[in-house]
Amino acid sequence: MKEFKTQTYQNLLKSSGGVTRENLFGFLGKVQDAFGYVPREVVCDLAIRTGLSEARIYGALTSYTDFKVKVEAGG
Amino acid sequence: MKESKVLTQRVGKYKPLDLKAYQAMDGLKGLRQALATAPESVIEQIKQSGLTGRGGAGFPTGLKWASAAQEKQEPKYFICNADEGELGTFKDKVLLDGDPWAVLEGILIAAYAIGAEKAYIYIKGEYKKTATLWEKLVDEAEKAGLLGEGILGSEFSVSLQVVRGRGPYIAGEEFALISSLEARRAMSRLKPPYPTEKGLFGKPTVVNNVETIANVPVILANGVEEYRRLGVEEDPGTRLFSLSGDVKNPGIYELEMGSGTLEELINEFGQGTASGQLIKAVQPGGGTSAFLGRASLGCRLTTQAIREAGSGIGTAAVIVYEEGKSTIDIVKGLLEFYGAESCGRCVPCRIGVVKIKEIIDTLSCGNGTAEDLARLRKIGKACVAASTCGMGQAFPLPVLSALELFPEDFEAVVQKVPA
Repeated sequence: MKEFKTQTYQNLLKSSGGVTRENLFGFLGKVQDAFGYVPREVVCDLAIRTGLSEARIYGALTSYTDFKVKVEAGG
Repeated sequence: MKESKVLTQRVGKYKPLDLKAYQAMDGLKGLRQALATAPESVIEQIKQSGLTGRGGAGFPTGLKWASAAQEKQEPKYFICNADEGELGTFKDKVLLDGDPWAVLEGILIAAYAIGAEKAYIYIKGEYKKTATLWEKLVDEAEKAGLLGEGILGSEFSVSLQVVRGRGPYIAGEEFALISSLEARRAMSRLKPPYPTEKGLFGKPTVVNNVETIANVPVILANGVEEYRRLGVEEDPGTRLFSLSGDVKNPGIYELEMGSGTLEELINEFGQGTASGQLIKAVQPGGGTSAFLGRASLGCRLTTQAIREAGSGIGTAAVIVYEEGKSTIDIVKGLLEFYGAESCGRCVPCRIGVVKIKEIIDTLSCGNGTAEDLARLRKIGKACVAASTCGMGQAFPLPVLSALELFPEDFEAVVQKVPA
Protein backbone atom coordinates (compact mmCIF):
# COMPACT_ATOMS: atom_id res chain seq x y z
CA MET A 1 0.00 0.00 0.00
CA LYS A 2 1.43 3.31 -1.07
CA GLU A 3 0.83 6.60 0.60
CA PHE A 4 -1.23 9.13 -1.33
CA LYS A 5 1.15 11.62 -2.85
CA THR A 6 -0.18 14.64 -4.71
CA GLN A 7 2.80 14.54 -7.05
CA THR A 8 2.09 10.95 -8.12
CA TYR A 9 -1.50 11.91 -8.76
CA GLN A 10 -0.49 14.95 -10.81
CA ASN A 11 1.79 12.73 -12.89
CA LEU A 12 -1.07 10.32 -13.51
CA LEU A 13 -3.23 13.20 -14.66
CA LYS A 14 -0.51 14.42 -16.98
CA SER A 15 0.19 11.00 -18.52
CA SER A 16 -3.53 10.46 -19.16
CA GLY A 17 -3.87 13.78 -20.91
CA GLY A 18 -6.49 15.03 -18.47
CA VAL A 19 -9.69 13.43 -17.27
CA THR A 20 -13.11 13.67 -18.85
CA ARG A 21 -16.24 11.57 -18.41
CA GLU A 22 -14.99 9.56 -21.40
CA ASN A 23 -11.93 8.17 -19.67
CA LEU A 24 -13.00 8.54 -16.04
CA PHE A 25 -13.46 4.81 -15.45
CA GLY A 26 -10.05 3.94 -16.86
CA PHE A 27 -8.45 6.77 -14.90
CA LEU A 28 -10.00 5.67 -11.60
CA GLY A 29 -8.42 2.29 -12.34
CA LYS A 30 -5.01 3.89 -12.71
CA VAL A 31 -5.44 5.66 -9.37
CA GLN A 32 -6.48 2.38 -7.77
CA ASP A 33 -3.43 0.61 -9.22
CA ALA A 34 -1.07 3.40 -8.16
CA PHE A 35 -2.23 3.79 -4.55
CA GLY A 36 -4.09 0.57 -3.83
CA TYR A 37 -7.23 2.62 -3.22
CA VAL A 38 -8.98 5.71 -4.53
CA PRO A 39 -8.42 8.47 -1.95
CA ARG A 40 -11.21 10.82 -0.96
CA GLU A 41 -9.20 13.82 -2.24
CA VAL A 42 -9.10 12.22 -5.69
CA VAL A 43 -12.86 11.67 -5.79
CA CYS A 44 -13.31 15.32 -4.83
CA ASP A 45 -10.89 16.54 -7.49
CA LEU A 46 -12.36 14.32 -10.21
CA ALA A 47 -15.86 15.55 -9.39
CA ILE A 48 -14.73 19.09 -10.15
CA ARG A 49 -12.89 18.06 -13.31
CA THR A 50 -15.77 16.02 -14.78
CA GLY A 51 -18.71 18.04 -13.48
CA LEU A 52 -20.15 14.94 -11.85
CA SER A 53 -21.16 14.91 -8.21
CA GLU A 54 -18.88 13.35 -5.63
CA ALA A 55 -21.75 11.11 -4.58
CA ARG A 56 -22.15 9.83 -8.13
CA ILE A 57 -18.47 8.88 -8.43
CA TYR A 58 -18.27 7.48 -4.90
CA GLY A 59 -21.47 5.48 -5.42
CA ALA A 60 -20.12 3.91 -8.59
CA LEU A 61 -16.70 3.22 -7.07
CA THR A 62 -18.05 1.37 -4.07
CA SER A 63 -20.14 -0.94 -6.25
CA TYR A 64 -16.99 -2.51 -7.74
CA THR A 65 -15.27 -5.19 -5.70
CA ASP A 66 -11.84 -4.30 -7.08
CA PHE A 67 -12.06 -0.62 -6.16
CA LYS A 68 -11.20 0.36 -2.58
CA VAL A 69 -12.00 3.71 -1.05
CA LYS A 70 -9.76 3.41 1.97
CA VAL A 71 -6.54 1.78 2.97
CA GLU A 72 -7.25 -1.80 3.93
CA ALA A 73 -5.28 -3.63 6.57
CA GLY A 74 -2.86 -6.07 5.04
CA GLY A 75 -3.64 -4.87 1.52
CA MET B 1 -13.31 -35.75 -35.25
CA LYS B 2 -10.35 -33.42 -35.44
CA GLU B 3 -9.68 -29.80 -34.64
CA SER B 4 -10.12 -27.18 -37.37
CA LYS B 5 -7.68 -24.42 -36.53
CA VAL B 6 -8.97 -21.25 -38.09
CA LEU B 7 -9.06 -18.74 -35.25
CA THR B 8 -6.31 -20.50 -33.35
CA GLN B 9 -4.05 -21.11 -36.37
CA ARG B 10 -1.49 -18.57 -35.19
CA VAL B 11 -1.90 -18.99 -31.44
CA GLY B 12 1.50 -19.50 -29.86
CA LYS B 13 3.29 -19.24 -33.21
CA TYR B 14 4.68 -15.73 -32.70
CA LYS B 15 5.75 -13.46 -29.88
CA PRO B 16 2.62 -11.48 -28.96
CA LEU B 17 4.06 -8.04 -29.75
CA ASP B 18 5.78 -9.05 -32.99
CA LEU B 19 3.75 -7.38 -35.73
CA LYS B 20 6.16 -8.43 -38.48
CA ALA B 21 5.79 -12.10 -37.60
CA TYR B 22 2.02 -11.65 -37.63
CA GLN B 23 2.15 -10.07 -41.07
CA ALA B 24 4.37 -12.86 -42.34
CA MET B 25 1.52 -15.26 -41.49
CA ASP B 26 -1.04 -13.48 -43.67
CA GLY B 27 -1.81 -10.96 -40.96
CA LEU B 28 -3.56 -7.68 -41.87
CA LYS B 29 -4.79 -9.21 -45.13
CA GLY B 30 -8.37 -8.85 -43.96
CA LEU B 31 -7.90 -5.23 -42.93
CA ARG B 32 -6.34 -4.32 -46.30
CA GLN B 33 -9.25 -6.01 -48.07
CA ALA B 34 -11.71 -4.10 -45.92
CA LEU B 35 -10.09 -0.70 -46.42
CA ALA B 36 -10.09 -1.24 -50.18
CA THR B 37 -13.89 -1.55 -50.18
CA ALA B 38 -16.75 0.57 -48.86
CA PRO B 39 -17.92 0.06 -45.26
CA GLU B 40 -21.32 -1.09 -46.55
CA SER B 41 -19.70 -3.87 -48.51
CA VAL B 42 -17.78 -5.02 -45.41
CA ILE B 43 -21.05 -5.20 -43.48
CA GLU B 44 -22.65 -7.07 -46.35
CA GLN B 45 -19.85 -9.66 -46.30
CA ILE B 46 -20.25 -10.18 -42.56
CA LYS B 47 -24.00 -10.59 -43.06
CA GLN B 48 -23.42 -13.13 -45.85
CA SER B 49 -20.94 -15.04 -43.73
CA GLY B 50 -23.67 -15.85 -41.21
CA LEU B 51 -21.38 -14.95 -38.30
CA THR B 52 -23.20 -14.89 -34.96
CA GLY B 53 -22.07 -13.54 -31.59
CA ARG B 54 -19.86 -15.90 -29.59
CA GLY B 55 -20.44 -14.24 -26.23
CA GLY B 56 -23.56 -16.19 -25.34
CA ALA B 57 -26.58 -14.59 -26.98
CA GLY B 58 -25.69 -15.56 -30.56
CA PHE B 59 -27.05 -12.45 -32.27
CA PRO B 60 -26.15 -12.09 -35.99
CA THR B 61 -23.08 -9.82 -36.12
CA GLY B 62 -23.85 -8.35 -39.55
CA LEU B 63 -27.27 -7.15 -38.41
CA LYS B 64 -25.82 -5.52 -35.33
CA TRP B 65 -23.26 -3.66 -37.41
CA ALA B 66 -25.83 -2.60 -39.98
CA SER B 67 -28.14 -1.11 -37.38
CA ALA B 68 -25.32 0.93 -35.84
CA ALA B 69 -24.03 2.00 -39.26
CA GLN B 70 -27.37 3.43 -40.33
CA GLU B 71 -27.64 5.65 -37.23
CA LYS B 72 -27.04 9.31 -38.01
CA GLN B 73 -25.63 10.27 -34.61
CA GLU B 74 -21.92 10.89 -34.16
CA PRO B 75 -19.56 9.82 -32.74
CA LYS B 76 -20.04 6.07 -32.81
CA TYR B 77 -18.23 3.67 -30.58
CA PHE B 78 -16.98 0.15 -30.94
CA ILE B 79 -16.36 -1.97 -27.85
CA CYS B 80 -14.61 -5.31 -27.81
CA ASN B 81 -15.98 -7.27 -24.89
CA ALA B 82 -13.07 -9.10 -23.29
CA ASP B 83 -14.77 -9.36 -19.89
CA GLU B 84 -15.01 -13.10 -20.16
CA GLY B 85 -16.86 -14.05 -17.02
CA GLU B 86 -19.24 -16.90 -17.74
CA LEU B 87 -18.43 -19.90 -15.55
CA GLY B 88 -16.40 -22.49 -17.45
CA THR B 89 -15.39 -20.09 -20.23
CA PHE B 90 -11.74 -19.34 -20.95
CA LYS B 91 -11.57 -19.17 -24.73
CA ASP B 92 -11.17 -15.42 -25.23
CA LYS B 93 -8.00 -15.38 -23.17
CA VAL B 94 -6.37 -17.80 -25.62
CA LEU B 95 -6.99 -15.36 -28.47
CA LEU B 96 -6.12 -12.22 -26.50
CA ASP B 97 -2.79 -13.69 -25.39
CA GLY B 98 -2.00 -15.98 -28.31
CA ASP B 99 -3.01 -13.99 -31.38
CA PRO B 100 -3.71 -10.42 -30.20
CA TRP B 101 -2.99 -8.82 -33.58
CA ALA B 102 -5.83 -10.78 -35.14
CA VAL B 103 -8.22 -9.46 -32.49
CA LEU B 104 -6.91 -5.94 -33.08
CA GLU B 105 -7.34 -6.41 -36.83
CA GLY B 106 -10.94 -7.44 -36.22
CA ILE B 107 -11.54 -4.38 -34.03
CA LEU B 108 -10.18 -2.11 -36.77
CA ILE B 109 -12.37 -3.70 -39.45
CA ALA B 110 -15.43 -3.43 -37.22
CA ALA B 111 -14.73 0.23 -36.40
CA TYR B 112 -14.25 0.96 -40.11
CA ALA B 113 -17.48 -0.80 -41.05
CA ILE B 114 -19.70 0.99 -38.55
CA GLY B 115 -17.89 4.34 -38.76
CA ALA B 116 -16.58 4.42 -35.18
CA GLU B 117 -13.82 6.85 -34.36
CA LYS B 118 -13.18 5.48 -30.93
CA ALA B 119 -12.86 1.88 -29.83
CA TYR B 120 -12.46 0.30 -26.42
CA ILE B 121 -11.37 -3.11 -25.31
CA TYR B 122 -12.74 -3.95 -21.87
CA ILE B 123 -10.56 -6.66 -20.37
CA LYS B 124 -11.62 -8.74 -17.40
CA GLY B 125 -9.90 -7.50 -14.23
CA GLU B 126 -8.44 -10.88 -13.40
CA TYR B 127 -6.59 -10.98 -16.74
CA LYS B 128 -3.91 -8.60 -15.48
CA LYS B 129 -1.08 -9.82 -17.70
CA THR B 130 -3.37 -9.80 -20.71
CA ALA B 131 -4.31 -6.16 -20.05
CA THR B 132 -0.64 -5.19 -19.69
CA LEU B 133 0.13 -6.95 -22.96
CA TRP B 134 -2.69 -5.06 -24.67
CA GLU B 135 -1.50 -1.72 -23.36
CA LYS B 136 1.88 -2.43 -24.98
CA LEU B 137 0.18 -3.70 -28.11
CA VAL B 138 -1.70 -0.41 -28.52
CA ASP B 139 1.61 1.49 -28.28
CA GLU B 140 3.13 -0.78 -30.93
CA ALA B 141 0.09 -0.41 -33.16
CA GLU B 142 0.23 3.38 -32.87
CA LYS B 143 3.90 3.34 -33.84
CA ALA B 144 3.15 1.10 -36.83
CA GLY B 145 0.37 3.38 -38.03
CA LEU B 146 -2.37 0.87 -37.30
CA LEU B 147 -4.09 3.14 -34.80
CA GLY B 148 -4.55 6.88 -35.02
CA GLU B 149 -4.96 9.06 -38.09
CA GLY B 150 -5.00 7.65 -41.63
CA ILE B 151 -4.60 3.94 -40.96
CA LEU B 152 -2.45 2.13 -43.56
CA GLY B 153 -2.53 5.22 -45.74
CA SER B 154 -6.33 5.34 -45.92
CA GLU B 155 -8.63 8.07 -44.66
CA PHE B 156 -9.84 5.91 -41.83
CA SER B 157 -8.90 6.96 -38.29
CA VAL B 158 -9.63 5.31 -34.99
CA SER B 159 -8.15 5.19 -31.49
CA LEU B 160 -8.25 2.27 -29.10
CA GLN B 161 -8.34 2.44 -25.32
CA VAL B 162 -7.60 -0.54 -23.10
CA VAL B 163 -9.84 -0.58 -20.03
CA ARG B 164 -9.46 -3.04 -17.17
CA GLY B 165 -12.59 -4.44 -15.60
CA ARG B 166 -12.89 -4.07 -11.85
CA GLY B 167 -14.64 -7.16 -10.64
CA PRO B 168 -18.32 -7.56 -11.46
CA TYR B 169 -19.44 -10.56 -13.49
CA ILE B 170 -22.40 -8.61 -14.86
CA ALA B 171 -20.04 -6.15 -16.60
CA GLY B 172 -19.84 -8.76 -19.37
CA GLU B 173 -23.45 -7.96 -20.24
CA GLU B 174 -23.70 -5.41 -23.04
CA PHE B 175 -25.42 -2.56 -21.23
CA ALA B 176 -23.69 -3.22 -17.91
CA LEU B 177 -20.37 -2.96 -19.73
CA ILE B 178 -21.44 0.33 -21.25
CA SER B 179 -22.52 1.64 -17.84
CA SER B 180 -19.18 0.62 -16.44
CA LEU B 181 -17.29 2.53 -19.16
CA GLU B 182 -19.44 5.55 -18.27
CA ALA B 183 -18.09 5.20 -14.71
CA ARG B 184 -21.45 4.10 -13.36
CA ARG B 185 -22.43 0.98 -11.48
CA ALA B 186 -22.33 -2.01 -13.82
CA MET B 187 -26.03 -2.61 -14.36
CA SER B 188 -28.19 -3.81 -17.19
CA ARG B 189 -30.82 -1.54 -18.79
CA LEU B 190 -34.19 -2.02 -20.38
CA LYS B 191 -34.12 -2.59 -24.15
CA PRO B 192 -35.01 -0.99 -26.52
CA PRO B 193 -33.30 1.34 -27.21
CA TYR B 194 -30.50 -1.07 -28.05
CA PRO B 195 -26.85 -0.09 -27.71
CA THR B 196 -26.68 0.28 -31.49
CA GLU B 197 -29.13 3.20 -31.12
CA LYS B 198 -28.27 4.67 -27.72
CA GLY B 199 -25.20 3.02 -26.28
CA LEU B 200 -22.07 4.49 -24.73
CA PHE B 201 -22.72 8.12 -23.70
CA GLY B 202 -26.02 7.87 -25.57
CA LYS B 203 -24.30 7.28 -28.93
CA PRO B 204 -24.60 4.34 -31.33
CA THR B 205 -22.36 1.57 -30.03
CA VAL B 206 -21.52 -1.95 -31.12
CA VAL B 207 -20.33 -4.41 -28.48
CA ASN B 208 -18.79 -7.62 -29.81
CA ASN B 209 -17.18 -10.55 -28.06
CA VAL B 210 -13.47 -11.29 -28.66
CA GLU B 211 -14.07 -14.57 -30.47
CA THR B 212 -16.70 -12.96 -32.71
CA ILE B 213 -14.23 -10.25 -33.65
CA ALA B 214 -11.46 -12.77 -34.32
CA ASN B 215 -13.67 -14.27 -37.04
CA VAL B 216 -13.89 -10.98 -38.92
CA PRO B 217 -10.37 -10.81 -40.45
CA VAL B 218 -10.72 -14.45 -41.54
CA ILE B 219 -13.95 -13.69 -43.39
CA LEU B 220 -12.50 -10.61 -45.09
CA ALA B 221 -9.18 -12.25 -45.99
CA ASN B 222 -10.48 -15.53 -47.36
CA GLY B 223 -13.90 -14.50 -48.60
CA VAL B 224 -17.37 -15.50 -47.52
CA GLU B 225 -17.48 -18.66 -49.61
CA GLU B 226 -14.29 -20.06 -48.15
CA TYR B 227 -15.46 -19.16 -44.63
CA ARG B 228 -18.77 -20.94 -45.10
CA ARG B 229 -17.07 -24.13 -46.26
CA LEU B 230 -16.69 -24.98 -42.60
CA GLY B 231 -19.69 -25.56 -40.38
CA VAL B 232 -23.32 -26.05 -41.32
CA GLU B 233 -25.70 -23.81 -43.25
CA GLU B 234 -27.26 -22.04 -40.25
CA ASP B 235 -24.08 -22.25 -38.17
CA PRO B 236 -21.03 -21.55 -40.30
CA GLY B 237 -17.41 -21.55 -39.20
CA THR B 238 -15.78 -22.93 -36.10
CA ARG B 239 -16.10 -22.36 -32.39
CA LEU B 240 -13.72 -22.49 -29.49
CA PHE B 241 -15.08 -25.01 -27.01
CA SER B 242 -13.86 -24.56 -23.44
CA LEU B 243 -13.98 -28.08 -22.04
CA SER B 244 -13.81 -28.36 -18.27
CA GLY B 245 -15.18 -30.20 -15.26
CA ASP B 246 -14.70 -33.91 -14.68
CA VAL B 247 -12.62 -34.70 -17.75
CA LYS B 248 -9.06 -35.99 -17.99
CA ASN B 249 -7.94 -33.43 -20.51
CA PRO B 250 -9.68 -30.08 -20.14
CA GLY B 251 -8.79 -27.26 -22.52
CA ILE B 252 -9.74 -25.20 -25.54
CA TYR B 253 -10.65 -27.08 -28.69
CA GLU B 254 -11.53 -25.31 -31.91
CA LEU B 255 -14.08 -27.42 -33.76
CA GLU B 256 -16.02 -27.03 -36.93
CA MET B 257 -19.69 -26.47 -36.14
CA GLY B 258 -21.67 -29.68 -36.47
CA SER B 259 -18.58 -31.82 -37.06
CA GLY B 260 -19.12 -34.01 -34.05
CA THR B 261 -21.20 -34.72 -30.99
CA LEU B 262 -20.92 -33.72 -27.34
CA GLU B 263 -19.85 -37.26 -26.52
CA GLU B 264 -17.05 -37.19 -29.10
CA LEU B 265 -15.80 -33.88 -27.75
CA ILE B 266 -15.72 -35.25 -24.21
CA ASN B 267 -14.23 -38.63 -25.09
CA GLU B 268 -11.84 -37.80 -27.91
CA PHE B 269 -10.52 -34.45 -26.73
CA GLY B 270 -11.30 -34.62 -23.04
CA GLN B 271 -10.26 -38.31 -22.96
CA GLY B 272 -13.28 -39.26 -20.94
CA THR B 273 -14.24 -38.54 -17.38
CA ALA B 274 -11.62 -37.92 -14.73
CA SER B 275 -12.23 -41.06 -12.71
CA GLY B 276 -13.59 -43.19 -15.52
CA GLN B 277 -17.16 -42.99 -14.18
CA LEU B 278 -20.08 -42.50 -16.52
CA ILE B 279 -21.06 -38.95 -17.39
CA LYS B 280 -24.03 -37.79 -15.39
CA ALA B 281 -24.72 -34.36 -16.80
CA VAL B 282 -23.22 -31.72 -19.05
CA GLN B 283 -23.69 -27.98 -19.24
CA PRO B 284 -22.93 -27.24 -22.89
CA GLY B 285 -22.93 -23.45 -22.76
CA GLY B 286 -21.41 -22.25 -19.49
CA GLY B 287 -22.65 -22.07 -15.91
CA THR B 288 -26.02 -20.57 -16.80
CA SER B 289 -26.99 -23.21 -19.37
CA ALA B 290 -29.45 -26.01 -18.65
CA PHE B 291 -28.10 -29.48 -17.90
CA LEU B 292 -28.21 -32.18 -20.52
CA GLY B 293 -28.39 -35.77 -19.35
CA ARG B 294 -26.64 -38.87 -20.71
CA ALA B 295 -29.45 -39.38 -23.23
CA SER B 296 -28.47 -36.14 -24.99
CA LEU B 297 -24.75 -36.86 -25.38
CA GLY B 298 -25.25 -37.83 -29.01
CA CYS B 299 -26.31 -34.24 -29.67
CA ARG B 300 -24.44 -32.61 -32.55
CA LEU B 301 -22.41 -29.51 -31.78
CA THR B 302 -24.60 -26.90 -33.41
CA THR B 303 -26.65 -24.12 -31.88
CA GLN B 304 -29.87 -25.65 -33.11
CA ALA B 305 -29.16 -29.24 -32.06
CA ILE B 306 -28.21 -28.18 -28.54
CA ARG B 307 -31.30 -25.99 -28.31
CA GLU B 308 -33.50 -28.88 -29.44
CA ALA B 309 -31.88 -31.10 -26.81
CA GLY B 310 -33.14 -28.60 -24.21
CA SER B 311 -30.17 -26.37 -23.47
CA GLY B 312 -28.17 -23.63 -25.19
CA ILE B 313 -24.70 -23.39 -26.73
CA GLY B 314 -24.10 -20.04 -24.96
CA THR B 315 -20.36 -19.42 -24.79
CA ALA B 316 -19.62 -23.03 -25.84
CA ALA B 317 -18.18 -23.78 -22.41
CA VAL B 318 -18.81 -27.49 -21.92
CA ILE B 319 -18.78 -28.43 -18.24
CA VAL B 320 -18.86 -32.16 -17.52
CA TYR B 321 -20.12 -33.76 -14.30
CA GLU B 322 -19.61 -37.44 -13.51
CA GLU B 323 -22.00 -39.95 -12.04
CA GLY B 324 -21.99 -39.87 -8.24
CA LYS B 325 -22.43 -36.13 -7.95
CA SER B 326 -25.72 -34.68 -6.83
CA THR B 327 -27.08 -31.89 -8.99
CA ILE B 328 -28.17 -30.20 -5.76
CA ASP B 329 -24.53 -29.74 -4.79
CA ILE B 330 -23.69 -28.51 -8.29
CA VAL B 331 -26.43 -25.89 -8.42
CA LYS B 332 -25.60 -24.84 -4.88
CA GLY B 333 -22.12 -23.92 -6.05
CA LEU B 334 -23.44 -22.13 -9.12
CA LEU B 335 -25.98 -20.16 -7.07
CA GLU B 336 -23.35 -19.05 -4.60
CA PHE B 337 -21.64 -17.33 -7.50
CA TYR B 338 -24.71 -15.90 -9.22
CA GLY B 339 -26.22 -14.82 -5.90
CA ALA B 340 -23.18 -12.65 -5.24
CA GLU B 341 -23.16 -11.26 -8.77
CA SER B 342 -26.75 -10.16 -9.37
CA CYS B 343 -26.52 -6.42 -10.02
CA GLY B 344 -29.76 -5.85 -8.13
CA ARG B 345 -31.41 -3.82 -10.81
CA CYS B 346 -34.52 -5.95 -11.25
CA VAL B 347 -36.55 -7.70 -8.60
CA PRO B 348 -36.91 -11.20 -10.10
CA CYS B 349 -33.15 -11.68 -10.30
CA ARG B 350 -32.21 -9.79 -7.13
CA ILE B 351 -34.72 -11.55 -4.89
CA GLY B 352 -35.18 -14.70 -6.93
CA VAL B 353 -31.56 -15.73 -6.77
CA VAL B 354 -31.54 -15.41 -2.97
CA LYS B 355 -34.81 -17.29 -2.53
CA ILE B 356 -33.74 -20.10 -4.86
CA LYS B 357 -30.45 -20.38 -3.04
CA GLU B 358 -32.23 -20.52 0.34
CA ILE B 359 -34.45 -23.35 -0.87
CA ILE B 360 -31.49 -25.28 -2.28
CA ASP B 361 -29.64 -24.81 1.03
CA THR B 362 -32.66 -26.07 2.94
CA LEU B 363 -32.89 -29.07 0.63
CA SER B 364 -29.22 -29.90 0.92
CA CYS B 365 -29.48 -29.85 4.74
CA GLY B 366 -32.29 -32.39 4.47
CA ASN B 367 -34.98 -30.05 5.74
CA GLY B 368 -36.79 -29.51 2.45
CA THR B 369 -40.29 -30.63 1.54
CA ALA B 370 -42.13 -31.38 -1.69
CA GLU B 371 -43.65 -27.91 -1.44
CA ASP B 372 -40.15 -26.45 -1.69
CA LEU B 373 -39.69 -28.16 -5.04
CA ALA B 374 -42.88 -26.56 -6.34
CA ARG B 375 -41.68 -23.16 -5.09
CA LEU B 376 -38.33 -23.67 -6.81
CA ARG B 377 -40.08 -24.22 -10.13
CA LYS B 378 -42.35 -21.23 -9.63
CA ILE B 379 -39.63 -18.76 -8.66
CA GLY B 380 -37.25 -20.08 -11.30
CA LYS B 381 -39.81 -19.65 -14.07
CA ALA B 382 -40.66 -16.15 -12.85
CA CYS B 383 -37.00 -15.13 -13.01
CA VAL B 384 -36.63 -16.52 -16.53
CA ALA B 385 -39.76 -14.69 -17.68
CA ALA B 386 -39.35 -11.34 -15.96
CA SER B 387 -35.66 -10.47 -15.71
CA THR B 388 -34.20 -7.73 -17.88
CA CYS B 389 -30.89 -9.22 -18.87
CA GLY B 390 -29.43 -12.55 -19.86
CA MET B 391 -28.17 -13.35 -16.39
CA GLY B 392 -31.54 -13.19 -14.65
CA GLN B 393 -33.14 -15.06 -17.51
CA ALA B 394 -30.57 -17.82 -17.44
CA PHE B 395 -29.29 -18.50 -13.92
CA PRO B 396 -32.41 -20.56 -12.93
CA LEU B 397 -32.02 -22.85 -15.96
CA PRO B 398 -29.60 -25.30 -14.29
CA VAL B 399 -31.99 -25.59 -11.33
CA LEU B 400 -35.08 -26.05 -13.49
CA SER B 401 -33.38 -28.58 -15.75
CA ALA B 402 -32.00 -30.50 -12.75
CA LEU B 403 -35.56 -30.81 -11.40
CA GLU B 404 -36.68 -32.26 -14.74
CA LEU B 405 -33.75 -34.52 -15.50
CA PHE B 406 -32.67 -35.70 -12.06
CA PRO B 407 -35.77 -35.74 -9.83
CA GLU B 408 -34.15 -38.57 -7.86
CA ASP B 409 -31.51 -36.16 -6.53
CA PHE B 410 -34.25 -34.02 -5.05
CA GLU B 411 -36.51 -36.85 -3.89
CA ALA B 412 -33.57 -38.34 -2.01
CA VAL B 413 -33.31 -35.31 0.26
CA VAL B 414 -36.96 -34.25 0.55
CA GLN B 415 -38.54 -35.03 3.92
CA LYS B 416 -41.38 -37.46 3.79
CA VAL B 417 -44.21 -35.71 5.58
CA PRO B 418 -46.64 -38.19 7.19
CA ALA B 419 -50.15 -37.79 5.80
